[in-house]
Amino acid sequence: MSLRFDRRSLLKGMLGGSAVYLGLPALDVFLDGNGTAFADGAPLPLRFGTYFWGLGLTDTPTGGTRWVPTTTGPGYEVTPELASLAALKDKVSVFSGFRAIGDGKANLVHWSGHASILSGIAPASPNRFDGASFDTRIADAIGTATRFKAIDVDASISRLPVSYSTRTGNTFATPETTPLALYTRLFGPGFQDPNSPDWKPDPSIMLRQSVLSAVTDERQSLMRNVGKADQVKLDQYFTSVREMETQLAVQLQRPGKCEACVVPGAPKDAPRASSVDVVNANTRTMAKLLAMALACNQTRVFNVVHTAGASETYLAGQSKIYHQITHDEPTDARLGYQPETSKLAALVMQALGDFLTELDAVKEGDGTLLDHSLVMAFSDTGYAKIHSIENIPMFLAGRAGGRHKAGQHIVGKGESVTRVSLTAMQLAGAPVGEFGTGTMKTARPISEVMT
Amino acid sequence: MKHAIASSLVAASIALVVPGMAAAGWTRTYVVEWNEPAMYYGAKSGVIDPGTDCPAGTNPEVDWVKVLVAAGYTEEEAKWLRNPANPTRSPVHGQNQMAFRGKDRANVYVNPTSTPDAGLVGVSGTIAEGIDLDGNAHTGLTSPTGEQGIDNKFYETLGCWKTYRGPPRLSSGALQFNDSMRNGAWTTLIVVTGKGSDPLNDKHVAVGFYLSNDKMVKDGNGAIARDYTFRIKPHAKYEAVFAARTVNGAIVSTKPADVMLRDPSYTQDLELLRARVNLQMQPDGSLKGYVGGYRPWEPVYRGWVNARGPVIEVLTWVQLPAVYYALRRNADFSPGGRKGEKTHISYAMRVEALPAFVITPDATAQVAAVMSYKVQAPQEEERRGAGTFRVVDGIVIDPKMTVQAGPNAVILPSTYQK
Amino acid sequence: MLRNRGLAYAAAFGCGMVTFLVGATPAPVATDPGPIKVAVRRLTETQYRHTVADVLGPQIKIEARFEPEKREEGLLAIGSSQLSLTSAGFEQYFALAGSIAEQALAEGQRDRVVPCKPADATRADDGCARQFVAAYGERLFRRPLTESEIAARVRTAAAGTARLHDFYGGLQLALTSLLVAPEFLFRIETAEPDPAQPGAFRLDGYTMASRLSFLFWDTTPDAALLQAARSGALHTAAGLQEQLERLTSSPRYEQGARAFLADVLQLDGFANLVKDPAIYPKFNQSVADSAREQTLKTSLDLLVRQQRDYRDLFTSNETYINRSLAAVYQVPFVSDKEWAPYTFSDASERAGILTQVSFLSLFAHPGTSSPTRRGIKIHEIFMCEPTPNPPADVDFSKVKDSTQGTVRGRLLDHMQNTGCTACHRRSDPPGLALEHFDGLGQLRTTENNVPIDVSADLNGSKFVGANGLANYLHNDPRVPACLVRNVFAYGVGRKTEERDEDYLAEQTRIFAASGYRVPGLMRQIAATPEFFKASIPRGVSP
Repeated sequence: MSLRFDRRSLLKGMLGGSAVYLGLPALDVFLDGNGTAFADGAPLPLRFGTYFWGLGLTDTPTGGTRWVPTTTGPGYEVTPELASLAALKDKVSVFSGFRAIGDGKANLVHWSGHASILSGIAPASPNRFDGASFDTRIADAIGTATRFKAIDVDASISRLPVSYSTRTGNTFATPETTPLALYTRLFGPGFQDPNSPDWKPDPSIMLRQSVLSAVTDERQSLMRNVGKADQVKLDQYFTSVREMETQLAVQLQRPGKCEACVVPGAPKDAPRASSVDVVNANTRTMAKLLAMALACNQTRVFNVVHTAGASETYLAGQSKIYHQITHDEPTDARLGYQPETSKLAALVMQALGDFLTELDAVKEGDGTLLDHSLVMAFSDTGYAKIHSIENIPMFLAGRAGGRHKAGQHIVGKGESVTRVSLTAMQLAGAPVGEFGTGTMKTARPISEVMT
Repeated sequence: MKHAIASSLVAASIALVVPGMAAAGWTRTYVVEWNEPAMYYGAKSGVIDPGTDCPAGTNPEVDWVKVLVAAGYTEEEAKWLRNPANPTRSPVHGQNQMAFRGKDRANVYVNPTSTPDAGLVGVSGTIAEGIDLDGNAHTGLTSPTGEQGIDNKFYETLGCWKTYRGPPRLSSGALQFNDSMRNGAWTTLIVVTGKGSDPLNDKHVAVGFYLSNDKMVKDGNGAIARDYTFRIKPHAKYEAVFAARTVNGAIVSTKPADVMLRDPSYTQDLELLRARVNLQMQPDGSLKGYVGGYRPWEPVYRGWVNARGPVIEVLTWVQLPAVYYALRRNADFSPGGRKGEKTHISYAMRVEALPAFVITPDATAQVAAVMSYKVQAPQEEERRGAGTFRVVDGIVIDPKMTVQAGPNAVILPSTYQK
Repeated sequence: MLRNRGLAYAAAFGCGMVTFLVGATPAPVATDPGPIKVAVRRLTETQYRHTVADVLGPQIKIEARFEPEKREEGLLAIGSSQLSLTSAGFEQYFALAGSIAEQALAEGQRDRVVPCKPADATRADDGCARQFVAAYGERLFRRPLTESEIAARVRTAAAGTARLHDFYGGLQLALTSLLVAPEFLFRIETAEPDPAQPGAFRLDGYTMASRLSFLFWDTTPDAALLQAARSGALHTAAGLQEQLERLTSSPRYEQGARAFLADVLQLDGFANLVKDPAIYPKFNQSVADSAREQTLKTSLDLLVRQQRDYRDLFTSNETYINRSLAAVYQVPFVSDKEWAPYTFSDASERAGILTQVSFLSLFAHPGTSSPTRRGIKIHEIFMCEPTPNPPADVDFSKVKDSTQGTVRGRLLDHMQNTGCTACHRRSDPPGLALEHFDGLGQLRTTENNVPIDVSADLNGSKFVGANGLANYLHNDPRVPACLVRNVFAYGVGRKTEERDEDYLAEQTRIFAASGYRVPGLMRQIAATPEFFKASIPRGVSP
């Protein structure tokens, strides 16, 4: 009889009635010499998130850019479409000039750009990625100790909600689409207030664990004589089961106190309209909830979609959607750019500014939640009118516990977007040395923004 | 005598429009999305500003301490009763003791003449909206468009009272009751049919007002949505049929009628004698205008009293007995003839309606004729909304209160500290 | 350092202490090779709901958020073969399973639901637990359970009973475990060696039963179907035919037809449909839900109840409406019921499914109509012709900026651009013919006081307005061929390929010859061997 230490055995050990608590030397990947600490000496957790908005920012091939700062390096000047980031610019790095490289594959409009950023490979077909999105790598590295490995949000109030987080390239995460749904998932049934003085382990949890063990016991026989594609599907199923097991295991432990955690009240859902003002308000409300979820240690990783690629948002009362305007509107001869498009771009960016502000509003340790986080914000295109995947706007916001030398404008000069993705992964603490395939393969993170 | 002749004329005219009138040449149907007393606002802005109608603006807030002292309470008692920190009677139903300020502490709500007339300030302008009810251009005020002889004493009497005064759709009373109606409390339909080929100019037109149990639906902007279908609900009381004609799209009564409508107020019954309509068909398909007549004035007063006298007086800045006196003083119609008591007062209601489909009570067809459905109506008594309170003599008595209001109530508690 | 693959650090960092848990388990014993799994198809929301209602009772309340489905090659049924479960999705199913089990075994229900009584209700009774697990497991897994599958749940029940001192509490855990198992949540289609052709494989009887049951009734196989599978009757022509007759003549066939139509007509997303309230004030959620229901009711009535010619779907002016829809269509609702039949007049320009609010509002923008979108969907849904993505190399800077004031004018201008012509020339015309209907589906015949031109030219075929478009689709042979393809693809759960072409052409011929009747088509296809063909996935050797 061989003994195997694996997760199931851990849980079975718990079921057997005895839980053993050991002090474990802190692992390097979780500790960094620059991290700030609580008074009791435990390091503050790093959080990571992606933030996506559709239709890029205004930039024309003839040189009329509304977002690329003219200066490079620290202290970049705030351009019109980045106005909403002005107050936080010292915590935000701007990356311009990076592009997605197809290596012969067609540019699938409103898809290839961010698929390349997230999966490192230009996708062969729309609605699919040809690799896992890198947020899942980070979640695997830093998200295993919280109730949720990651939380996905789509604030766009659209008919078909989207998430771009995927492990298989086929099945994408299911996002929460309303503040109430997000609140219920985070703070509804199953939530344990980490600061509650009278916490008791819930006995029903162990029973629920036993339900899962009957399922996982059958895994081997199920996976026999299964084709490759189906194997991938079933693997994902079992991964989801494992994450449920983790959730239950975490809930059986007394949560550590989180000073910054203040359990919010249930929000009211807003009326449904996908005009940009309503979508922005929705994003802000969900940002507040997400920030508190991070502060209460319910998750370390999140993925937010403000509007999907080919965004359907619009100015309230106007009949044309943003996407159509980017294509229809001519470049104003005098101004050198598309004015309506630029107006919408600035409004869309307002939501990002508000989102980061909400993270920055939570005091944590001797800084803010944003100081202990890294948010990678990016879009699906550069110049949306021509579906360009050059110069896709990308940002890294938050000090990542001190690891991110924020506040700089880095110019990519045509380099691959994967360099920024790799940088994000490393700043977030994922043990990744290289990322991307083909011409987009890179082992060089952008060291200028890393301490 | 005149009344008898008048009513037989009315009966005859109703006979004309009762079934017997076969399928009309045209039919237009509507749902009433707003109705309020026609109170012309004479200021250029705001809701309570001074204007040609009320030069001093809307009647100001009443000094209740002064009123109570005048009624015989000591200053200390009056102040104590008016202090919001002492909701001894009820925070919801108001200071019940205010009822007892008549002679010998009589209840002024049910006995308004037990206290002197405080003199409700009415409208002093020359413009009024409404209808010339008596056919006499020399009685009444002038309409905003210059028509003379508008009979609307209701407006002249109460037009400076806060609950009634304001630009269209903005007086507090109108907002309250129309909100309630638009949220489903009741629905009024209007059916207009004509024999001719041109709806805008037709000598033989009939107009019917009916109730429906189908609720109106609000659209994405909070307005009432057009084109919904409503089924007529036969009602024993609320129904009106008018004989009229159209001239350039204006629907004008050819004969008066005695009708009853659902009033957007606490006094739900709106009886209108010698009633007429003046409704303009709009280019966008909607209908806007007036229905007017002589309404009994005492039920108006009682309606306010039964909505909790103390609450109404304080919230709408009025002394209710003064309303009684003013209405009595200005009532201008006696159903019993010239020598009879003037129990009625001229009145007009602004009505705005949107195109809607209207179907017969049995839901088998669209209505194509204006007729009476009263014979089909069940005998139902007034249903009060769930949760409404019991008002007795203008106040709500809460038996659980340690101190009750009344003519013999001790006002100041023995532990009262200055 | 304890670092094994799959090791979990149950550690809470930052906000508290670090903990670690120890235990050990013996390695599993190797088991016999099982059947070959040829497909794994995730259960849809309606299939899940119908199954629970059929197996455990219609009174069970199911309140959960189901994982979104994915449309692939025009069908959710094909997408379901590619989907797995995310962790958020599994969370929902896990909670839902617990709730269902609790309701099913509640005190008032258990006597009806549990086929036996325990010796002592406070202690484990493996015999009764086994009976329960075997019976319900078969209904839920859609096949008999293996010994080890039963044993695992009996163990769970016993362990639970030991903790709770309640036999039924233990059964609840066992039932929950069945409801979260992949064998329930996924339709795992299996193949067995074909006795008639050594070396070849055929779908086993239970898989056949599932295919039939989900195609015709959108639910788990009932006892009669399971018996037909068990006895081998489904592998005989007569046995199969008997089941086909039974399934299509049952009133439950409507349930299956409804699910099929909802998938084929792409009626999803109504719960999330958004319109700009300033531009379309009449729109609200009730209108959206009603629109979907109208289309389903109308199609079911025409195709299933009346068994009319499929092509009448485009031209028939008979439909069902309710009060909300009547206001949008600007017609009277002369009825005291919730829904009533309605026949549109010729003047209303409304005939057929393409003039219904569902289609018109779903494939439009929040504030305007979209001829391109509608045109693309007409091709995709009714002619099985997907439109390729816009090419990446369109130089939009060279695209002539259109100065046209009308939607039609601008689209026609765009069609002049070489990079755009190829697709827009094909996709836009059907949509242009529908331009008398705005983004909500309301009739509007003028734009800025100018009558809207609804003439269209689709690669030489000319037609005018919705009626013209309807006739065009009525007469085009691709339309019935597309339905045939969809019935087949929906039933087998995969996209069709070149090798299927001859078969589909033959089925289309039969469909046409029989008067284009849909129930007949479904029976006809489900009786062909192609419908039950087993394709062994590459790399799998028995």
